[in-house]
Formats: sequence, C-alpha cells, structure tokens
Amino acid sequence: MKVSLSWLKDYVNIEMDVQDLASALTMTGLEVESITNSFDYLDNVVVGRIVEISPHPNAEKLKICRVDTGNSIVQVVCGAPNIVENILAPLALPGTIFPDGSILQKCDIRGQVSEGMLCSERELELGDNKSGVMILSGTPETGTKISSALSLSDFVLEIGLTPNRSDCLSVIGIAREIAAIQKLKVEYPVRQQPDRNKDIQKYTSVRIEAPEHCPRYAAALVTDITVSESPFWLRKRLISIGQRPINNIVDITNFVMMECGQPLHAFDFNLLAENRIVVRTAEKGETFITLDQKERILDPEMLMICDGEKTVAIAGVMGGLNSEIANSTKRVLIESAYFNPLSIRKTSKKLGLSTEASYRFERGIDPLGTVNALVRAALLMTEIGNGKLTGGVIDENPLIHDVVPIELSISETGRLLGIEMDRENIKSCLESIEFDVENTDADTLKVTPPSFRVDITRSVDLMEEAARLYGYNNIPTTMPFIHAETIQPLKTLVLRDKIKNIMTDLSFMEAINYSFINESSCDQLRLLSNDKKRKLLHVLNPINEEQSVMRTSLIPGLLENMRRNLSQQVRNLKLFEIGNVFLSRGQDALPEEVEMAAGLWTGDRYNSVWYAKEIGCDFYDIKGIVEGLISGLNINNIRFTKMPFELCCYTKQGYTAQVTIEGRPIGLVGEIHPEVLRNFNLKQRAFIFELNCNTILDLTNKAKASQPLPKFPFTTRDITVIISKDIEAMSILEKLNSYGEKLIENTQLFDIFEGDPVPPGKKSVSVRIVYGSAEKTLEDNEVNGIHINITNRLLREFNASLSA
Amino acid sequence: MENTIDQICTEALREIETAKSKDSLNAISVKYLGRKGIVTQFLRNISKLPTEERPKAGEKANEIKKILEKAFEDTASSLNSQSPEAHDYIDVSLQGRSAFPGSLHPITQITRQICDIFTRMGFDIAEGPEIESDYYNFEALNIPKYHPARDMQDTFYVSDNIVLRTHTSPIQVRVMEKRKPPVKVIAPGKVYRSDSDITHTPMFHQVEGLMVGENISFGNLKGILTNFVHLMFDEKTSLRFRPSFFPFTEPSAEVDILCVMCRGNGCRICSQTGWLEVLGAGMVHPAVFENVGYDTAKITGFAFGMGVERITMLKYGIDDIRKFFENDFRFLRQF
Ligand SMILES: [Zn+2]
Repeated sequence: MKVSLSWLKDYVNIEMDVQDLASALTMTGLEVESITNSFDYLDNVVVGRIVEISPHPNAEKLKICRVDTGNSIVQVVCGAPNIVENILAPLALPGTIFPDGSILQKCDIRGQVSEGMLCSERELELGDNKSGVMILSGTPETGTKISSALSLSDFVLEIGLTPNRSDCLSVIGIAREIAAIQKLKVEYPVRQQPDRNKDIQKYTSVRIEAPEHCPRYAAALVTDITVSESPFWLRKRLISIGQRPINNIVDITNFVMMECGQPLHAFDFNLLAENRIVVRTAEKGETFITLDQKERILDPEMLMICDGEKTVAIAGVMGGLNSEIANSTKRVLIESAYFNPLSIRKTSKKLGLSTEASYRFERGIDPLGTVNALVRAALLMTEIGNGKLTGGVIDENPLIHDVVPIELSISETGRLLGIEMDRENIKSCLESIEFDVENTDADTLKVTPPSFRVDITRSVDLMEEAARLYGYNNIPTTMPFIHAETIQPLKTLVLRDKIKNIMTDLSFMEAINYSFINESSCDQLRLLSNDKKRKLLHVLNPINEEQSVMRTSLIPGLLENMRRNLSQQVRNLKLFEIGNVFLSRGQDALPEEVEMAAGLWTGDRYNSVWYAKEIGCDFYDIKGIVEGLISGLNINNIRFTKMPFELCCYTKQGYTAQVTIEGRPIGLVGEIHPEVLRNFNLKQRAFIFELNCNTILDLTNKAKASQPLPKFPFTTRDITVIISKDIEAMSILEKLNSYGEKLIENTQLFDIFEGDPVPPGKKSVSVRIVYGSAEKTLEDNEVNGIHINITNRLLREFNASLSA
Repeated sequence: MENTIDQICTEALREIETAKSKDSLNAISVKYLGRKGIVTQFLRNISKLPTEERPKAGEKANEIKKILEKAFEDTASSLNSQSPEAHDYIDVSLQGRSAFPGSLHPITQITRQICDIFTRMGFDIAEGPEIESDYYNFEALNIPKYHPARDMQDTFYVSDNIVLRTHTSPIQVRVMEKRKPPVKVIAPGKVYRSDSDITHTPMFHQVEGLMVGENISFGNLKGILTNFVHLMFDEKTSLRFRPSFFPFTEPSAEVDILCVMCRGNGCRICSQTGWLEVLGAGMVHPAVFENVGYDTAKITGFAFGMGVERITMLKYGIDDIRKFFENDFRFLRQF
C-alpha cells in the first residue's frame, strides 16, 4: 500500500519528520518498506535556458531551440507558441518517464534531431496549463533539477500490510493509525447523507439473486456528465501513489477507493439493458470479456453483475468492456457493494486475476462504508463532471451489521502479555483507534470495535491491539518458570547425528541437496520398470522440470554434485548426505518418507601426497567406509553379498554388494555403472553406498554389555588353501565360524593371491586362526589336533588343496 | 661345524662391540646377517649336512642368529642415544600420514548450535513429516482454505489436500495432539516454498519453537529469544519486537536484531535500516489450542520460528543462499 504524505495530511496533522513517522508506523505493526519521493519521475528534468530560437526547415509550426542545460547546449525541437529567447523552462532529458508511462528518447522530428523536450505544466503533471512551455520565474540556476528549483517534495511511504489489516488499505485507514500514534483525531471528509427522496427508483433497480455472495449493493445515478480529463489536484493524488489517471469518472472511483477503502465501479448507464442491475452467479461455461480485453471463462460459483440482459462485470474483480465509461458517456451508475470476501477470493484465484478491488473485497471492507463512499463519489462527479445527482440512492438488502461487544479481562491481558496493564492504559490504547470501551466490572471492559476492523472478533485480538499500541518494547523481558521434566531424545535424531559425526571422522563432507529431482533421473539411473524408486510423487506446481518430482534416492543428487565439482577441477571427492526419500502411495495420500544415508567416493584414494602414489579409489575403499560406519554405530553381523546381476541398475554388475545386517537388507555398496556415468555426463569412476536409516535404527537398540578380557595367552595357526576362483573368499571365514569350535577366538583373512604358481582358475587364500580358552593356556598338541580337523574339513567342503 | 658357528658368533660380537657409528654397525650387520652374510650362508648349508645332524645345527644357528640380532639392536640404540649424528634425520616438515576429518554442512552446524541453545534451556526436539496434509500445514494452524494469509507462503502442492510443508509449525500441532501441557519443544527441519532467487531457495531449513503451560507470557517469549540471540550472536546484539501477523499466533511479532555487520549504522545487508529480521514469533492463537483440545482458559504459550539459512548467512558472511545446495567442495571445506 502506497500513500503520500501530502494526501495523509488531508485527514491528520503530521508534525513528525518522515523518518520518525516511518519508524513509529513500523513499530505499531505497519511496516514501512520504503520511503520515496512522488516527484522522483522528474529526476531527469532540469532547468534549461533557451539560448537561441530558429525556424524548423521542414515544419512551419515547429521551432529549433538551442537550450543551455547547465553543462552543455543541446538542440530541442519545440512547437510551443510562448517560447522566446532567454526564458527558463523545464527541459526533460532523454530517459525521462512521464506519468502517463511514456519514455522520452532522443529523436528525429521532421529531419531535425531533438535532444530533449521543453515541457508544459500539464506534461510534467505540475498543473493544468498546457498552452505552452512552463516558464520558470525567479533565477534558478540552469541545470538544477526541476524538483529542487520548484521545491517539489512529497514523500511516499510504501507499507507492507499484513493480511489482517484490511482497514489500512486506504489513506484514511493509515491516517487513523498515525492519529493514534500522535494521540490526535482523524478529520474525516464531510460525510453527507443521501437525499431522502427516492427519485432514483424511477430510473433503475437492483435485484440481488445471490445474497450469500452479495449481502449489500448500493447504487447512485449521476446524469448529464461530461467525461473529461480530471483536474490537476485529482490527477496529482493518483499519480503520487503510482496510479495512472484515466478520465474524471474513473479517477473519482479510484480516488474514493484509495481514500476510504471502498471499491466502486462506474457503469455507463445508457449501456445497461433495461437500465437495471441484477446480481447473480454465472452459468456454467459462460464467458465474459473484461476491461483488459481478455475473455474469461466463468463458473457457477462466480458472482456476476448483470443488466436486464447480459453480464456487465465480474463482481468485485473487474468490469466489462461492454459498459465501460467512454468520452461519450452521459449517465453513470455508481456501484458501491459489499461482497462476500471468500466468494471474491475464490473467483480471483480461479481466474488468476487480482485487482485493487478484489484485493480489498477478499480481505474484508467496512460493511458500513458503502453508502458513505457512494455519496462521496457521486458528489465529486457532480462537482468535477458537471453531473446532476438523481435523488436518493439504492441500498439493496442492507446488511444488518451485528455489533457484538467483546468482553476483555484486564487481568488476563496482563497475564498473557506479562505486564500489569491498568484499566486506563488499555482503555486509552483502544480508544485511540476508535474502539468503543465501556467499564463493566472491576476486571472487565466491554469493547465494541469499529465496523472497519473486521479482523477483531475475540478478546485476544483486543489484547494484541493494546499490546501493539502500548509498544512491544515496553513489555518487560522475563524468563518463564517451567517444569524441568523432559523426555527421551528422538532416536532418529541421535542416529542421524551419530552417522554424520562418523562420516566426517571418516573424512567425508556433508552435502545437502534439494528433495526434488528431475523425473528423468529414473531413466538416467537405469531403474527397472518395477523398481519401487519409480513410485514418484509429483509436485503439481514445480518451479522447473529439474525439480518436478520428490526424490526416491539420494544418488542423483550426489552424482550431480560430482559433475559440478569435476567441472570446477575438483576430481577427488568424498561426499555423503542424509535425508528423506519419498515413495509415493498415490498423489492423494501422504507418501512413505524413508531416511537414507548415502556416500560417494570418486578420484584418488589419497589426494596427491608424498607418501603414496596416486591410486584411484575402488570398491574396497567405499566398502571400508560402510564397515567403519556400521562398526561405529556399534552394530555387528554386517554381511556383504554379491548383488544378483539382474538387480543391479545404477551400479555395475559384479561390482556391487548388498549389505545385510542380521539377515535384513539395509542397502547397497558398489561402483556406479558406466552407462549411468555417461547419463550424468561424468568421465570418472565413482563408488557409492546407500543405506536405509530406518532399518538401521531398528538394529541399534541393543544394550552394550562388557566382555571379560582373556586371562590366558592365545595361539595362532595359519593355513593357506587353494580354492576355485569362483568361491567368495569370505565364505571360508563364515564356514570356519559356523563350525562352532569353542576354542576359536578369531579368524582373519590375511592374504589372497592369484597367478603363478597358483594354477589358473584357482586362488590361494591365507587365513589366520586364533585359538584361545578362558580356562587355561592351550597346549600345542590340543590346538594341533583341532587345527588339523578344521583344515581337513575345509579342504573337503571347498574342494581345496593346501598350498605347495 | 658347531665350533665354526660359535667362532662366527664370537667374532661377530667383538666386531659389534667395536663399531663406532651406525654406518659401520650396518656394514657389520650386512656382513653377518645380510642375504649373502656369513650366518645366512651357514643356515643355507645346513641342508647339505647329514640328516641326523640337521635339527641340532639348525637349532644352534637360529639361536646364534637371535643373539646377534639382539646385539645389533642394543648397540644401535646405544649409538643413537650416545652420539646423534648430524646427518641422521628425517624431514619433519612433510605432511603426516593422516586422514583429515571431513566437515558437516554449514546448515547442520548452525542447526546444531541453535538446537543446543534451546535444549540447554530445557526444550525437547521434535520432528515430523516433510509432506503434510493441508490440515496440519494450514487448517490446524488457523489458516482456512482461501484465507488471504495463504498468500504469505508460496506453497508447493502434491494434490488439493497434500502439500510440501511450508513451515515446521505442523510439528507443534502434532506434538500438542499427543502431549498434555506443559510442552516445550523445538522442531528443526526442511521446509518448501515456491520461491527462487538470491535470498530464496525452494527448499530451506527452519527451527520452530513452542512453549506452552500456565502463565507463559509475551514477556517470557521476549526473555527466551533475547537469551537465544545473545548466545547465538553476542551480548551486544540487541533485539526489537514489532507487531506483525501470523494466523497461528496473537499477539504476533517480527523480531529484528541489531545488524551484525554494521551494528546499527546502516549497511547493504540491512538495507540501511540497522536492523535484520531474523525471527517470527507470537503467543499461540487460542484457535490453535482449541484444535488440539487444550483448555484456553488455563493454558497460554508462545511459538517462534527462524530460517537457518538466514542465520548461517549472517554468521558466516555468505551472500547467496543458493550456494548451500550446490555442494561445491571449495565452499563446503570452509566450514
Ligand atoms: Zn547493517
């Protein structure tokens, strides 16, 4: 909401400096977002002196002036009759934006260049005179800005109104707040009552067929109108707040709306069939061309203003071309209605059409303000448009405004705010904004808010009013007394924090990606058609295609991060992310949200360092990270098994492991498939893991229990077996552990070898077995016996041989 | 044969004793224990002995090898401690063989700082779904359908009744539905609004707080937030509360802090106002209490919310919010 200081001063005396006023308004809840000058559009207009005038070679009525701009002489083509040499006149330089929106450019006028424009009062919106250039009196220096030469200044405050304060969508509304701040009263424009005679009823009628949408409709009729340009004072008011004057009739409706917040509409009465108004809802599929020349498709929930035959306006939103005020208009029907806010909002949303009028109606205008505004506009039309006011007004279905007083407890106000406020304090705050306050009992006030404060419905609303006018900063800052009782910390949060800490300890960097991704990511990841990661939840109104579905995997985000970093020449990267993925259960149901942890390692195992060669990281590097992470979470029994080839999609077949804990799959670890690398435009191998935190959470609930330390020394024995290359090496350890031999403390695979002298198709695997007992030191022969047994069993079960 | 190995041992021990430097000691070590050293050769030759002599000779040779190894080790360490040599050193300036820790995302770091402050004040942490029903995101918070207040937040819709949550406020409703007062929780999390420019990303992080009980006042809200700001920034950072509007609180306030860049003198960051808007807050609206079945005659409470990105940008001097989600290594490693 824009409002100029000079306009405000029509209703309230302002003695404060504009900065103080702005900060006082901000501190009472009307945030002043900017202060500008309404004459800013004159920034490129300077005082020019006409040095020399000569005839235009190609146009009799034009002259060529050489004008001193203070620092140079420019050539200006001018047709004004009143120019003589040596006069001072406003010179608009190229770049000037006139109030009508046109932009002045250096141009060619009938073969002569014109580097500016000598302006009339009217052209600069400084007065009505358009008979010739504006001759400046006194001795302003050439080149000074016209605004300082004429001491033009009128500050414009731009106020960011919160949606509850519809009462401030008018100059008077803001003047009321200023009056309250200054402890003054608003000087309202003279409010005239309509004529008692009801002549108007002879000429027209209003029928409301949809009272729930339109509780009140008032109209006045002005005849013998002369449509013309508005007078200077009216144009100036509208221009000061950034509105473009159109003609006196339309300008008056806009002026009154801006002044008191009641949107008005003017119809050309002669264009209304049967000279009457019918207020009804639209028929399905009905179309209508609005003032902006667009065809609108209507539905039965939309309220229309009609004449005897056709639709003439979308109620509260926009009028139609078919009854627009034109220069030929002689009779005007002025509409001043109260429409249901919800109805107007729905219509405005559905049509995607928001106007100054709809903005006010949907937030709620003063239900008692319709006739005042109507009479104000009608009288202005008789003054400015030389019209004749037909006696009386139509005020159809006058809404009986329920004045419901609200009881306010003084002690409860104090309790909520945390300050003892006395009766007089509260009373004076509320009365300063025109609330009617009565004493009832020792602790209670009976408060009736004015009709324009449609946001005030319960006592807490009154407490807020009292608090904001008292000043939030005058309320003492105190600490609460609260119960110390607490609850268990969230397990999800504890796990997440732990994972984040372990991952950073393992030298990974945390990434955070958007939760939405491109739908094409599924294909880029080579997901199978029945992969549950294809259960995408779509955003109905995404910002762009890249962010159109909710992610079902963290991998696309990490690959995207990798691509970005590679393009910045960062080729060694260890990233992880923890976040939710979203599996759709259909667009109309809440999706399944699953928290995932994923990591990506690409580039070298070590950054270029002196102690190691640049070796690319591999599967076992990323697997080691997963093992470290799981061990850090104090979870045992992690297993990695070869992912069946047909289940590998974004990871490479044969280079992917499924991760299970206690038989429950928790995710995968592997190398990104070369085709996926190509799809993401990546030219370097990458290794990833992706784990389901929800499942991990189920597995971390075990209590820790301490184990006694061994009292007797251990004995170790190594065996090296030659087995078929196809056998997974770790299955030997699993087999060993499955024997249930009590004396085996630990097993470890410490060497693996393929190639000469190991025969082709085979590999040698060396295992260290640690034997020990809690009761005694083991004798060599006891261990040897067990060891030979175990060795033989292994050889048999794996069809293995001992190394040569 | 046995004599020979004993002689070798005696000779070797004598030479070790006379060694004056590490170099000469090394030479002696090579002479006896090197690959072609005397003891090594002796061990190899054992296989040429008659079978019955082999075990004893082998045992003896191994014993002597151990004696000599011990002698070399002892002498070497005494040489080290007695006379350090000028040319025996390593380059200590070289980087150690070590893995450096990675780093937490700046948003995680600041979220933790915020949560730490409030948990120390006694708040619990609560979480909730990122995709919410219209009821929890709006209706329960006193924002009916078609209310103009819905324009305050540009919402991403999944369907008519399902939205990406626009704030973490639904969590306060979910918590109050489950628990009786007093309640004191904060709710951190991701939120979504359809907005994208240098100061807005379509996803960002919020921390919301809620304290509900008997006699919780607006003054208390000021107290808690003042304490928070003083810990998050510093004691000199003053606060200003100004009236505002949120459908789920009343009275509502915007909380400004003195500009951390210019200390109130006016600069580009604070648009010359000297103040920075960092928090929205207010007393919980009775309609919200009614929706969760709290007794509005007894219970009052306050709620507040802040954008983590905004606070992180102020703390670290980051000027473009989009940097948080690009995950550029060179950006992340700074934190
Ligand atoms: Zn500043």
